[in-house]
Amino acid sequence: MASLGSFLILTAFVLASGAFAASIAGARRGQRSLIDGGTGLFHTVTAITGVISALIVHSFVIGDFGIKYVQRYSNSEQPLFYKLASYWGGLDGSLMFWVTLLAIFGSVAVYVNRERHRLLVPWVVAVISVVEMFFLFVMVVHNNPFETYLTTPPAAGAGLSPLLQNFYMAIHPPLLYLGFTGMTIPFAFGIAALASGQLDDSWLRAIRTWTMTAWLFLTVGLSLGALWAYEELGWGGYWGWDPVENAGLLPWFTSTALLHSVIVQERRGMLKVWNVALVIVTFFLTIFGTFLTRSGVVQSVHAFGENRELAWLFTGFMVFTLVVSFGLVIYRLPLLRARNELDSWTSREAAFLANNWVLLFAAFFVLFATMFPTLSEALGQGRLTVAAPFFNKWLTPVGLILLFLTGVGPLLAWRKSSLANATYQFFWPTAAGVVTTAAIMFVGIPFWPSGLCFGLCAFVTYTILQEFWRGARVRQGATGTDVLTALIGLVARSRRRYGGYIVHVGIVLVFLGFAGGSYERSEEGVLKPGQQITIGSYTVAYRALTVTRDAQKEMVTAQVDVSEDGAALGSLYPARWFFEGRTDEPTTEVALRRSVAEDLYVVLAGFTVETQEAKLQVKVNPLVNWIWFGVGIMLIGTVIALLPERAFAFATSRVPAGAAPTTLLLLLLMFGMTAGVRAQHVASPQNVPVVPRTSLERELQSQIVCMCGTCGRQRISECTCSTAAEMRQELAALTAKGLTHDEIVAYYVDKWGSQEVLAAPIDKGFNRLAWLLPYGIGAMGVMTIAGLALKWSRRAAQTPPAAATTGANQALEERLDDELRDLD
Amino acid sequence: MSTKAIRATLSGLAIVPAFIAVMYTTVAKDAVYYKHVNEVMKSPDQWYGKPMQLHGFVVDKSILQRPNTMDYRFKIKTDEYSVVADYTGIVPDTFKDGAEVVLSGRLGPEGFKVDPNGVTAKCPSKYEAAGPSGSAIR
Repeated sequence: MASLGSFLILTAFVLASGAFAASIAGARRGQRSLIDGGTGLFHTVTAITGVISALIVHSFVIGDFGIKYVQRYSNSEQPLFYKLASYWGGLDGSLMFWVTLLAIFGSVAVYVNRERHRLLVPWVVAVISVVEMFFLFVMVVHNNPFETYLTTPPAAGAGLSPLLQNFYMAIHPPLLYLGFTGMTIPFAFGIAALASGQLDDSWLRAIRTWTMTAWLFLTVGLSLGALWAYEELGWGGYWGWDPVENAGLLPWFTSTALLHSVIVQERRGMLKVWNVALVIVTFFLTIFGTFLTRSGVVQSVHAFGENRELAWLFTGFMVFTLVVSFGLVIYRLPLLRARNELDSWTSREAAFLANNWVLLFAAFFVLFATMFPTLSEALGQGRLTVAAPFFNKWLTPVGLILLFLTGVGPLLAWRKSSLANATYQFFWPTAAGVVTTAAIMFVGIPFWPSGLCFGLCAFVTYTILQEFWRGARVRQGATGTDVLTALIGLVARSRRRYGGYIVHVGIVLVFLGFAGGSYERSEEGVLKPGQQITIGSYTVAYRALTVTRDAQKEMVTAQVDVSEDGAALGSLYPARWFFEGRTDEPTTEVALRRSVAEDLYVVLAGFTVETQEAKLQVKVNPLVNWIWFGVGIMLIGTVIALLPERAFAFATSRVPAGAAPTTLLLLLLMFGMTAGVRAQHVASPQNVPVVPRTSLERELQSQIVCMCGTCGRQRISECTCSTAAEMRQELAALTAKGLTHDEIVAYYVDKWGSQEVLAAPIDKGFNRLAWLLPYGIGAMGVMTIAGLALKWSRRAAQTPPAAATTGANQALEERLDDELRDLD
Repeated sequence: MSTKAIRATLSGLAIVPAFIAVMYTTVAKDAVYYKHVNEVMKSPDQWYGKPMQLHGFVVDKSILQRPNTMDYRFKIKTDEYSVVADYTGIVPDTFKDGAEVVLSGRLGPEGFKVDPNGVTAKCPSKYEAAGPSGSAIR
């Protein structure tokens, strides 16, 4: 298996070089057969990387410990999910995973654009092939994930680091990689445009979706990393300005800048050089980030390897990238001349430009501060470092300026805003901002930075609401529908613009969360059972310490009772887990009491089992949940911006009055209902699933539901409540007795008096009706929706064009239409 | 070259170095020394009172804790040089004998006084082991 893997890596490298050579030759000579051959090889490389990935995953699943990489990052006790996550758990595998994602992205991009951007495609193939070649080369000479033990391999695996055995950490790297590799596609198109001289705006249209998608993955990936740090590391924060974190943030800044500046080029034909440069810089930073985290150039508390050889390989590739890319930019400068110049500083393009400068400054600053220890050492000043407070001090004003620009941009007109227009646009948002700041200061919160931040949040929120409201009113006047339908139609007609506004709402919420960070409180103490810590209005009383274990780990859990202003809120169970074979790396299992206003964050920092003493750290983190919620909104906004037009076809057709409100109401009701179910979750000390020891036990765990009455009938394999834990133990005892599947099922049916305890009724006799019912309901639902859609779209076709609008809205409508037309 | 281009180049030439200079000086003001124990303890008096980050390895069996408190006293070393450190607060999960740590604080004649939350232990990263201790992967 290992030799096959190594052979395939080498094959992929050779084929990628073939794809590169054939595409370049084909593009230069204009020979279709060469271009097609190159593209074919390119897709073959993708297929091979898929096979290599499958081989690695297979080795992890079967536990082939002869392969060093598998031995180091997994063991047989690890749940399947974390065995899969082990693929990207180490350096060698993460490089392979990177190439696989890049190859898949590349193939999709090339396939989608094969007709529309026929002239660019061979160059795109060549650029992506070069990047693939680099990573494959690194694996061939340096980091082969299929390297085997030459002597007798160890019988057991070392296991994935316990800290990484966390859901967020398992999915955070792939999302971040998707973001990183996704940024290669815009770069490939940019370089293709430069190399082929096809520098009209068409390459920008090709990269629009890719940049947004990659940006989305980067955003979600970064947020999950932050969420992981918050829930798993137990220091109470979510961002520590560690070089490794900063590495992910750098391309985020530049790609955000790119998303905005692209609009200026599309609309006004300006910033051409700037956009190409941003595409290059963003790609460069993704590679630089990888270099930073894997070469040991910057000292980080993460023990990333000090790997000189790898550092040189990466440096070589980065220099090559920069020289070739900017060389091409200089060569093509005559073709990159702007069509227009900046008319006025009170225009939207100026606001976008300012936003770009600020974002770029942020990127530059973070880069500078991250590299500062290395720079100061190189300058002979000795190794100097800067810490988190320094980053916060500098980036707080930068963030607030960005927030301000988020509000200003949409209010300014393209080219030039007249005074009357500016007053009309700015009056109410400014008033909202000023009133909020005053109110916030009145309750005793200082102006800098929280008061100002809250004020700006209000300002931006109002601008967005105003844009939606005015747009919807105009559309309502034009189409004669109700305001909600008009709103949906408005978003559908200009998805990128209004999706962008929704992303801005998310940004506002994230900033609210940041502002709350200034008011965190923390208390700590060594407690004996019965003693308590008071923090704000909360009292945390320590009760007892318990030690339990399962197949993978030993768990030390403290029970604390929480009350607020004397009213009991329930118990929390902070814990420390000691994984088998890794007992010197215990993990902190933070106990959280989440609420909209604040989190109560309890950490078991130390303990003495004999004396039942526990060292507890208790924190109150105000508004922190708004960060995660804000990211969720950003996700929704980006998805709206990415949706194809036909996704909105139903909404943009004339629907009967009242249809949209009813649909929304139903949707809200549905979400509300599920929220209720989630809210009934109770954290408890036994929230650790007992790992099934036999396949029968595993099977039954997923067939039997928790009978506590509050968990919404979750299967006991998934449910975290204490009843489920007891039921799992009972099941373990039954299977240990040697009972068969049917006997155990019969036992449960008998015990609970009905089949209610089963996740699905026994497939027999009358019960078959229960099996059929969901399918029946589903089919009926589909038919109803299809019928309604048909009916509504027919009516839309028959409806005459909209009535003329009133004079009062004429100007607004013209402006709106003008902007909508130009934006999409 | 057009006047506009000249103007842009000149302003660029003026602004960029000025910006870098301002940035470097402000950053340097807030920066603290990052030192290994052996660098500092060769001539400790010249480092007294200066804020710094001190890198070293916890000396085996040197961690002492005052009962019922979070007061710690321990030694860290690099090569043959070592220093006593005092700290009050919560220590990270990976803080133990032999751990590779970075302490933030100041050196004085009595030893190294660690700032609150000033103990950072190298986290067992998912990537390759680093440093002489090889702490990440066993």
